[in-house]
Order: sequence, then structure tokens, then C-alpha cells
Amino acid sequence: MQIVTPLLTLVRVSVYIFLIAPIAVVVLASFNAGNFLTFPPQGLSLRWFWTFLQNDVFIDAILYSAVLAACATAVSLVVGTMAALYFVRHARREAELVRIGVLLPLILPEILTAIALLFFFYEIGIGTEHKIALFTGHVLMTLPFVFLNAVTSLQSRDDAAELAARTLGASRYTAFRRITLPLIAPGVATGSVFAFIISFDTFGISFILKGSGSAPLPIQLYDYLRFNFTPEAAAVSTVSIIMTVLLLGLADLVFGKK
Amino acid sequence: MTEVSILSLVKSYGKAEALKGISLNIDHGEFVSLLGPSGCGKSTTLKCIAGFEEITDGKILFDNKDISRKLPEDRDIGMVFQSYALFPHMTVAQNLAFGLEMRRVPRAEIKQRVARAMDMVQLTKYADRYPKMLSGGQQQRVALGRALVIEPAILLLDEPLANLDAKLRDEMRGFIRDLQKRVGITTIYVTHDQDEAMTMSDRVVVMFNGAIAQAARPEDVYNHPATEEVAKFVGNANILELPVAAQGAEGTLLTLPGGGTLNLPGTASGQAGSLMRLMARPEQIALVDPSGAQLGGRIAKRYFSGGHIEYHVDTDCGPLLVLGPTSQTVAEGQAVGLSFDAQRLWPMQGGVGTASGVAA
Repeated sequence: MQIVTPLLTLVRVSVYIFLIAPIAVVVLASFNAGNFLTFPPQGLSLRWFWTFLQNDVFIDAILYSAVLAACATAVSLVVGTMAALYFVRHARREAELVRIGVLLPLILPEILTAIALLFFFYEIGIGTEHKIALFTGHVLMTLPFVFLNAVTSLQSRDDAAELAARTLGASRYTAFRRITLPLIAPGVATGSVFAFIISFDTFGISFILKGSGSAPLPIQLYDYLRFNFTPEAAAVSTVSIIMTVLLLGLADLVFGKK
Repeated sequence: MTEVSILSLVKSYGKAEALKGISLNIDHGEFVSLLGPSGCGKSTTLKCIAGFEEITDGKILFDNKDISRKLPEDRDIGMVFQSYALFPHMTVAQNLAFGLEMRRVPRAEIKQRVARAMDMVQLTKYADRYPKMLSGGQQQRVALGRALVIEPAILLLDEPLANLDAKLRDEMRGFIRDLQKRVGITTIYVTHDQDEAMTMSDRVVVMFNGAIAQAARPEDVYNHPATEEVAKFVGNANILELPVAAQGAEGTLLTLPGGGTLNLPGTASGQAGSLMRLMARPEQIALVDPSGAQLGGRIAKRYFSGGHIEYHVDTDCGPLLVLGPTSQTVAEGQAVGLSFDAQRLWPMQGGVGTASGVAA
């Protein structure tokens, strides 16, 4: 037992280093004063953040990704919660089918979902026009996160509360809105935060299904890095990382342990 | 106050019949318990009355109005659940106010009625607490208050005391019973605990396999059970199978193994030579001196349980259970005599057979 503890600490520290080091490198590289994306940075400067802020392409891409993620999350929030309600309360023999169906985009490699959607949307004649394929892809990718969280919150509570509300005179809808919804809201909201982050970061779906015109941030970054190798890309990444961390922190603050 | 009539109520799940056409009339202000083992249909009956289960056939009437097809929210019922089903995100006062809000009662009146209800269930000082900050008994009282504050036509209780510890359960029995009498509300109480059903109810409805076996006053269910199944469910029952020696105008003469006799008063039907099955409750049998007793036996086991002593006695009528007073002590292994009070022996229906092949 004497040896186990230091060994465990070693493993633990290694895992953290393994997880955090690449992120730390990107963040530090973004403060580079030099002209090239190198590590360790050659002097500290905020010049690449300034360059990034003046680069409409990246600003547009961030806004585009944010709007896309918000819309996809909104749809997933509604559909995922409804699917969870059906799964927990009403589904019997088909329950497992429903669950696998919703979770399939999470289980399959992202590229498979993307290709399947690409074929499908070309088959029905829409192709990648009007961002419909891209949007559908993002909804499918984010749906499992809302669904799983909603299912967990529904299963961890007592159905009788809603029935009690019915006996007290509440209609089915009122009982859901006044009793069930407030109780599952933290779980659903946590799922939505994950959904937003997944949509914001996802690459494969966006890469395959994006039509002509502006592109989500990960695609724009990828395009940029193919031809440029400046710390601006690191600066964009750093901003994206900070946004993610802020969102998670906020969610924890509002819906975390009380 | 409302009268409830259940008419030939059938509830099937696919091919399985959970309720096989039960009929029951419940009077204004009556407290009726549905008693039975799990799966007997008592909870299903309650759910049908509440409107949580669609009924397959039959009718449920409140004051002669058919409510069988109404939604739960339109039935004007108050219900207390086994899990209490309190709204965890609302305070005690908000829990109580919910039903009144749904009925669009004016704000000032809600405040008044909630205050009155909280006083009634003795929770006034917990008005602003959340349910998880309350003890089990307090949560139970919130559930009761919440169901009663809307002044429903009937009150339904689904095993409300099952999650409480023994001492609190006894307290709550009295509390619910007193409250029900004070409010005068027609009440249907589901339980699997025969003591609970008997101490609280005006009438006990014993159910088995989706049918009513007996609906009667607690004393009648206990002393005059309709079937052996009922006899055994509502308490400990000794069943004696005795041959009829003679049937006269003044009663039935039965012979006991070992030569003793019993004269059963009344007009229980039993021809001479047939067998009669009789129920004797353990406290209705007395342990006496073996010499000259109606029936002899030997104490096989003896358990002291505070208020009384439980004896398992081996007799020629089979093993019998006897409850004796703690003032009398008989040791295990000792030979005893058993004395029956013929007035209180209860002949079981369908318990009459022929004596062929049975040694007297």
C-alpha cells in the first residue's frame, strides 16, 4: 500500500499534464510576439489578439458558430426533452429502440453521420444549400446530450408529484409546466450547455455539410492554418477556450450543487 | 359530503384482469379502507377512482353523477400518496396554495385558507420551509393539508403511513382519523396493514385477486369473516375441523378429539355426521387445567411479547395458536387443556363437508 499512493499520484498528475498541456501550449502561443506559431513564445504580446479582433473572417466565424450552436441547442432542448419524457414515461417495448435512435450520432463516428446526411440531402435535392443539412447535423450531434441529462433528471424523481398536481386541479400541461419542468430544469440546462459546446466545437459534421459562403469557426481555423502559420490561430483558439470555460463556469454557478 | 358508488368496475391490462367487476357503495362521510395483499387490486381501484387509470368497464359515481370518463383534475378529489409527492421546489405554504391557485381562488382567500389548513395539520411554524427540511411525519401532514385545503368531494389515501416508523405511524393513525371525523369527508384508504384498516375505518373492504371478499365493519370482518382467506388475512386464525354429532333447535353439538364436546348456539347448518370448519381467534382460546378440559394439548413454543404471551400448542386438532395473559405462565413442553368459548367460534362458509374417511 505504501507504493500505491505515490504511484497513483504520479498517474494522476500525468493524466492532468497530458490533458492540459496541449491547451496550455496553445494559450501561451497566442501571446507570442513573434511572427510564427512557435513554442515557447518569442516574447509576450497581445498583438495577435488585436489582429484577430480586426479580422472580419474570424469574427464572422465566431458569430456564425455561436448562432448555429444556439439554434441547434434550442431545437435539441425541446426535442430532446420531449424524447426523454416519452422514453421515461410511455415507451415500453420500443424504449431501447428510442434510446439507441437518439444516441446513434454519439455512438457512430461523426464522419459517418455526416456522410449519411450528405447523401440523404443530395438525394432529396437540397444538398448543402440553405444550411439545412448543416443545421440538421448539428441538431443530431447535440440531441443526445440534452436527452441523456433529461432522462437522468426524470428518472431520479417521483412521478407522483405530477399526479398530485393533477388531483389538485392542474391540467396535464399545467402540471408539467409548474411541477415537472422546474424540477428537471437544472438537468436539461446542463445538457443544453454541453450541446452548445459540442455544436460550437464540432468539426466533421461542419466540414462535410457546410455549403458555400461563411463557415463555422473550426472550419475557418482549419482553412486559415492550411495557408498561414501565425499565432493568430492560437489567439482565436484561446478566445474559444475562454468562452467554453466561462459557459461551463456559469452553468455550474447557476445549476450546480446548491 | 359525497357518496361514492362503484358499479361493476372492471380494469384489464391486456388479458390480465386486475379488477373483476367490483361493486361498492360508500356513504357520506364514511371512512372505508381497502385492505388486501399486494396485487389484490386495492391500489388499482384507488387509481380508477382518482382517474389515473382508464377503466375497462363499469362506472364510478360521485353523488350519482358518473365521473368515470372525467380527467383527474375535474373529479374534485384530494389525494395523499405513499411517497407524499410534495412539490420539492415549493415551500409548505406554496404546496398548500397550489390547489387553490388552480381553482382560481382570489389571493386573499388563498392566504386565509392556507393559514387555516396549516393550523389544522399543525404546521403553521413551518410555512416557509421546503419539504426536504421536514421530518417524515411533518411531510405527511403537509400532504394531508394540501389534499384537504381544496375541500374536495372525497379524500383518497394510498398507503400514507407505509414510510413512517412504528411509533409515528400509531400517532398518525389517530391524527388522520380525528381529522377525517372533524372535516366529515368521505374517505377511501388503501392499506395492506390489517391493524391500520381496523383501527381507522368505519368499514373494511377486504380484497383478493381483483375481487371484494368482504365489506363490513372492522368487528365483523375480524369476528365473522366471510371466508377463510379473509379470516387469515385480518388476523391470526385457528381453523378447527370438527364432526357434527347432533343438530338440534338450540344449536349444533360438535365432538372434539379426545371425547370433549362443544355446543354451538344458533342455527349453523350442519347435518349430523358432516364436518364443520370453525374459526377461533388465538385470544378466544383459554389455557386451562388438562383434567376435564374440552381439548388436550402440549405447549410446543412459547413467545413473550410484552402485552401477552403467544403459545404454539400441539393438539389432536392440529397445531393451534393461543394468546394468553402475562399473569399466567405455562412452560414449554407442559401439558395443557384448551377451553373454547362456543359463543365466539365462527363457522366458516363452505366449511361443511361429509365425515367420510375422517376419524372423530
